[in-house]
Amino acid sequence: MENDQENHEGIQIEEIRDEFQCCVCLELLYKPVVLGCGHIACFWCIFKAMNTWRESHCPICRNPYHHFPSICKLMHSLLLKLYPLASARRVKHVEEEEKETGNCSPEFDDYLSESSCQTDLVPDTASSHSVPSQKRGSVGEGEQSSVNVSLDTVVPATSSSETNKDEKQVLMTDLLCGICKLLLCRPVVLNCGHVYCENCVINPSDELCRCPVCQLEHPNGYPNICLVLEHYLEEQFPELYAERKRTSVERSDCQIPSTRKQDEAAGCKSLPKFDLSEWLTGGGRQIHFGVGCDYCGMCPIVGERYKCKDCKEKIGFDLCEGCYKSSSKLPGRFNQQHTPEHRFELIQPLQVRNVVLRLPPERLEEDGSIDLVRYIEDSSVEQHPEEDSSETNSPREVRNISSSGTGDDQGGRESAERN
Amino acid sequence: MVDLARVQKELHECNRDVQVSGINVTLKGDSLTHLIGTIPGPIGTPYEGGTFKIDITLTDGYPFEPPKMRFATKVWHPNISSQSGAICLDILKDQWSPALTLKTALLSIQALLSAPEPDDPQDAVVAQQYLKDHQTFVSTARYWTETFAKTCAAEEKIQKLVEMGFPEAQVRSTLEATGWDENLALEKLLSS
Repeated sequence: MENDQENHEGIQIEEIRDEFQCCVCLELLYKPVVLGCGHIACFWCIFKAMNTWRESHCPICRNPYHHFPSICKLMHSLLLKLYPLASARRVKHVEEEEKETGNCSPEFDDYLSESSCQTDLVPDTASSHSVPSQKRGSVGEGEQSSVNVSLDTVVPATSSSETNKDEKQVLMTDLLCGICKLLLCRPVVLNCGHVYCENCVINPSDELCRCPVCQLEHPNGYPNICLVLEHYLEEQFPELYAERKRTSVERSDCQIPSTRKQDEAAGCKSLPKFDLSEWLTGGGRQIHFGVGCDYCGMCPIVGERYKCKDCKEKIGFDLCEGCYKSSSKLPGRFNQQHTPEHRFELIQPLQVRNVVLRLPPERLEEDGSIDLVRYIEDSSVEQHPEEDSSETNSPREVRNISSSGTGDDQGGRESAERN
Repeated sequence: MVDLARVQKELHECNRDVQVSGINVTLKGDSLTHLIGTIPGPIGTPYEGGTFKIDITLTDGYPFEPPKMRFATKVWHPNISSQSGAICLDILKDQWSPALTLKTALLSIQALLSAPEPDDPQDAVVAQQYLKDHQTFVSTARYWTETFAKTCAAEEKIQKLVEMGFPEAQVRSTLEATGWDENLALEKLLSS
């Protein structure tokens, strides 16, 4: 990855440090998402790698997770600044791919902007444009004192007299904790994509870790430190980071108990253990295979599923019970044009087991989706018989299949997973 | 759709340090979905000195699904079928992760050659021999390495059959088709 970076069009792009290379596509991370274990991959790479039937596992450490994290905006804008040319190329390729699949990733300008989160994490765009692409080696000698000063005063404009430092200061504004407003120290990325110092956001007396900005709860234990980001901070701001680390250790009264850390988690609490016999008899909790919640990212949705009746996008817009009942108003994570005025309906899970039991596996592979659609329509016709019962059944069935989005949607998302 | 950009990158990466790892991946034909991997037999094992070819097929789901790998070179090992070359290795099945690559998978196979798992066998006959008559297992594995996994041995075999009066191209392709089994190849050549 580090040598002869030349793409097919013959345009030279920047050297990309290995840490910022996605472990799945081996390209520059694009719209990065950070898993609870602290490992990073591209939005689409994680989406495609997720298991829609049961819990998913981190591609690197196999740590189980059940929630598709939101894009880490802080890292996204950092990468855009560090590698503008490589990013531009990635944007182009991903856009082409999205056009092909018909699914969109969040548009970044609008992403989260309707919510109240948009306060401190967005860097000043005017200053960010002045940042040159080459960052490495910008850490000069003999600026220790001013660095230490900025610890207390948060990026003072007065201290940036040298051009070299100027560059660094601008970057530092991009790497501040949303709570303490200082340079991030032992950064953790929550499921909502927001980044904080570990000590700021994790309260050892509290079982849960909740994002103070968007109020979303971080699932499945405490998040691990994002080591890639920490390493970058250490390299870019060696003195300041060392100082931050020292003071944060002093300040924290008790260390975060390691037993509650992500890597110690035995599994996903939110996802019930798969029990075949229970599943075959139809007992247990409802699991909506292949469907994810657009707020918290839970996939597959466990419990009640609320589907938006008004969203036109192929991928649909769904919420889990908890998010449906919460007051948060976020846009969809696939750039759906969902608004709070849209109406929801409660959806029963697909009775896949009936289909599976009825069909040999190889047939299910080939035309399983069609049979699934027919199955749902069959059952929905039974549930809501229409008045004009004189009409023959078959044409209505066909019409239902083409008009209702439910089954198509399901097949669409599942096939999107597979591709 | 196979992620062709990634496959290309992997080939580039893998072949850059072939001198160090000894692991090589080449195209089988024109397509990027059929490849041949080569691993050297680990030192200190009965496979030492051999060069093992592995047939790789990438399915549409790659890298989200594991690559299909099979030994093209005959090998005597509890976790590799002596008949078909099928490999019993968890990362090629349910333990696959998209962060793994062709090179890391081949490295794992190389490690499997060093550390057989007779309790989870692919070839029951070999596994039984490994457990009950280890001495014979080692000598058989070594014999198979000598016979099937040595390139110079291959040249000798070609030479031998060419001397019998068969055209070289045909000899080569027949030997390849029979996994460099001299007797099988001769049978085939005679019957064709």
